[in-house]
Amino acid sequence: MKKLLSGLLAMPLVLTLVGCQKPADPTPAPADETAEGAVLNVWTWNEEFWGFLGKYYADEVVDEYTLKKGDVTIKRTTYPSDGGAYQDALDAALLNQANAAADDKIDLFLAEADYILKYTNSDATMDVKSIGVTDFSNTYKYTVEAASDANGVVKGVSFQCCPAAVIYRRSIAMDVLGTDDPAAVQEALKDWDAFNAVAAAAKEKGYTMIPTTNATYRVFSNNATSPWVVDGKLNIDANILKWMDQSEEFVKNGYTAYTSNIWGDEATSEMFADGKSMCFFGPAWYFNFSMTNAQDPEKGCMGDWAICQGPQAWFWGGTWMLAATGTDNPTMVADIMNTFINNEEVCDALVKNEAQFSNNQAVNNKYAEDETFGSEFLGGQNPNAVFAELAKNIKFQNVTQYDQLCNEGLQTYFTEFLDGQVATREDAINNFKDYIRTTYPSITVE
Amino acid sequence: MKKDVNKSAELKLLISRILVYAILVFLAFLCLFFFYLMIINSSRSNAQLKTGFTIIPGGNFMKNFSNAWHDGSINIPTGMKNSFIVAICSALLTTYFSAMTAYGVYVYNFKLKNFVHIFILAIMMIPSQVSAVGFIQLAFKYNLTNKLWVLFVPSIAAPVVYFYMYQYLQATLPLEMVEAARIYGSSEFKIFNQIVLPIMKPAIAVQMIFSFVGSWNNYFMPSLLLNSADKKTVPIMIAQLRSADYSKFDMGKVYMLMLMAILPVMVIYIILSKSIIKGVTSGSVKG
Amino acid sequence: MQKTEKLPKTKSISYSRWGYIFIAPFFIIYTIFTFYPQLLTVYNSFFEYYRDGLTIIGPRFVGLQNYKTLFSLNTSGYVPIFKFMGNTLWLWIIGALPQFTIAMLLALFFTSTRLDIKGQQFFKTVIYMPNLIMASAFSMLFFALFSQVGPVNQLLVSSGMALKPINFLGMRVTVQSLIGLMNFLMWFGNTTILLMAGIQSIDEALFESARLDGSTSTQVFFNITMPLLMPIFIYVLITSMIGGIQMFDVPQVLTNGHGIPNNTSTTLIMYLNNFLGISKNYGMAGALSVLLFFITAVLSGIVFKTINRK
Repeated sequence: MKKLLSGLLAMPLVLTLVGCQKPADPTPAPADETAEGAVLNVWTWNEEFWGFLGKYYADEVVDEYTLKKGDVTIKRTTYPSDGGAYQDALDAALLNQANAAADDKIDLFLAEADYILKYTNSDATMDVKSIGVTDFSNTYKYTVEAASDANGVVKGVSFQCCPAAVIYRRSIAMDVLGTDDPAAVQEALKDWDAFNAVAAAAKEKGYTMIPTTNATYRVFSNNATSPWVVDGKLNIDANILKWMDQSEEFVKNGYTAYTSNIWGDEATSEMFADGKSMCFFGPAWYFNFSMTNAQDPEKGCMGDWAICQGPQAWFWGGTWMLAATGTDNPTMVADIMNTFINNEEVCDALVKNEAQFSNNQAVNNKYAEDETFGSEFLGGQNPNAVFAELAKNIKFQNVTQYDQLCNEGLQTYFTEFLDGQVATREDAINNFKDYIRTTYPSITVE
Repeated sequence: MKKDVNKSAELKLLISRILVYAILVFLAFLCLFFFYLMIINSSRSNAQLKTGFTIIPGGNFMKNFSNAWHDGSINIPTGMKNSFIVAICSALLTTYFSAMTAYGVYVYNFKLKNFVHIFILAIMMIPSQVSAVGFIQLAFKYNLTNKLWVLFVPSIAAPVVYFYMYQYLQATLPLEMVEAARIYGSSEFKIFNQIVLPIMKPAIAVQMIFSFVGSWNNYFMPSLLLNSADKKTVPIMIAQLRSADYSKFDMGKVYMLMLMAILPVMVIYIILSKSIIKGVTSGSVKG
Repeated sequence: MQKTEKLPKTKSISYSRWGYIFIAPFFIIYTIFTFYPQLLTVYNSFFEYYRDGLTIIGPRFVGLQNYKTLFSLNTSGYVPIFKFMGNTLWLWIIGALPQFTIAMLLALFFTSTRLDIKGQQFFKTVIYMPNLIMASAFSMLFFALFSQVGPVNQLLVSSGMALKPINFLGMRVTVQSLIGLMNFLMWFGNTTILLMAGIQSIDEALFESARLDGSTSTQVFFNITMPLLMPIFIYVLITSMIGGIQMFDVPQVLTNGHGIPNNTSTTLIMYLNNFLGISKNYGMAGALSVLLFFITAVLSGIVFKTINRK
């Protein structure tokens, strides 16, 4: 111990010397078209896309954070999306992009519909046509619109298309409606009035219609007719108020299991076999990637699920790959983008092996018509047949760069009202407004 | 009669003893319970955890460990490495330089001596958050984000540690000793490094541990300064669990990650608990 | 004799430059990493300066506008900093009250020669342990334990103590109690040990003579122990209060930064953190920091008064 201590005591000087030896900022190398960088930096908020990149693009998976493609090392930086942590870190890195060393520069980053405009409408992203992504004939139109700036310049591509549906428990539907056939269930859930009637019937049988009031939020917000910010002012759309009405009604009548966050322990525990909730809401990635409790080998209920459009058409998300200005690997960035939208083999594998609804219409439609194609999770139902139909209706509209925190914040503060912690709906809305005022000084809040 | 008084007094003592031990055992239970729970839960599978409390560990310890170690969005080995670098460097720098500063103020007579002492005591109370706003702004401006040294170098100026060291010197270092060393021709740095530091070893050891624990657990500044995956420290990763992508939530893994986050500090503490408890008291009481 | 006295005096004059050399690292580092940023914080507080997406707005001089905003009513009809100051104080109190009561009791137990507690080292070690846990991990643990499908609710429901799961993390009383409980658990061991040392430093003879006078233990406590312990007690209290002002990790992680419900667990530093979030609002954050500085300055003044009184 004594020796250790005196040894340690001698170290600070050495350490400070080491600290000083760090080289000064390397002068940023200009992106060179001929010799490209040895490191390709990819930023993501989860592992979904990274997994596909490893399986269908890279030559070698080195570890959870590193891939190899030819001589290039592909590195991943991941932040959780919740609370804007991903956006926050990404903003800082992009603002610093000009000063970063070539191998530290972001080359490709992912963005969601909720805030993609922030990046497409800035100089931080570049025209992908200029680097060789030109063929959008097979992609869905909304995915290209979403990735375009105000002048129509395309800044990125999505590797998935995200029409969303009602994901219901077959066994509960059987008990409540006497059928689990998607067409019949769709008829029973065709609009919100019908949906509410089924909710009452489900309650009679001891079920809850939805796991949490927040489960239907996205359906309403996606069908909003005005954006969150109009002329610099915070705007709460009438459809959001409709969601509040429904939530209030559902809590009062006991049609919902919880009022919690959809990602929380409460709501996700309803996905287990012993869960009592009939309807979940989401696109292909949701049941495939986020309903892991339903797929749990011990307590899950694989195959007891099916999808139908539900009361209103909507879409949720999409993961766009954007090309960062200053990338030193433009060729590979373009190559990755082209691979995930135009390489039929890869898109085919995404649909067949990963239960994705890809961003290649030809491939999706092929499976939509294939009667032998079905999902194990959905008890053999062909999800593409449903999604291909729904994808036709998607419009990318009323979107702002502030959507993520507006959506998260509104649900958080309104839940407090549902839980009886604030007296009135106005109080909840006021709390939300105060949150937005602190979070976004650029938005005028009245 | 006298015997009776003694007896009733003895009975009273016995009852109060039982009561006191009961309180102590309850509190000790409360404190240990959370550690126990974390260990038990970190050995159970996600499905097992949904079935409620047990006192017996499940069989998933190694599996959870491996899942946590190889988690895709929370790179705990890197986090631990970063936390170790920051915590050890701060512990070394803060104790060495605080001892040095305290020695400088205590031993030498110079014009600003009193002012310096009062000044350091005054700034001791300023919350670190006050400088945070300016600090991160500078860090972004001069490209100092994602640099671990930015987190530990500032610990050279630690008023609280200085205060503790000063108190300790006052109590243990006779000035005659320094005089004597000078007569033997030792240089000032040599006196400090070879004579004073060994005397201060107990104080240094205690502050080193405190500083280690403090920076191991520090969340506010690192969370504002580190955003690159390979530079994040453990507390940032733990806070991310709360806001993580719940879609991949495996509670067994979550408990395991929490256990990993506190384990290094616990091990150090259990080894050194005696001197820590002594250290908590010796610095402040004299104040 | 006179000679030897003179010797150190002349020596110490010639050595005075060494004083500056020894304190130089501290002051260099302090100036760069703390003092300059502090000045910058103050400077920022007079500017409009934030980010809107990837666009940097400002810095534009706005005088005292940020301070005015800080003290103006919000949409909900209150001044946020007053409410959050109140929250911070309240959350500190509900943790500190049991913390100091229990710690005082334990310190008396441990120092009582009459009770002669065995296994002190074990108890002291154990009660100090929670202080070492990372606040964010502790908070995360509570979050998992007290969710509606967590182990605590499972236990309550299966034992019949509750008919349906309690929404611990959604209700004001329970959220605040959990924060108080965590702060209590993390700090009572530390306080116990400090107070115990304080009691031990009181001259044993005083207790002896009081006992000979026939004083009861209650009288001894109020007439001897407490008055003599006061300086240390106040020192511990004020440092705890300063720690309380900086309360952040526990409520931040437990409520995911929203201070749920109804902002009743939002602390001052959480509010500061919100300004430093996605918009990096250096102007408002600067103004709030300056305010924090003044609050702490007042408290520090009290600390110095107490230390000096002793």
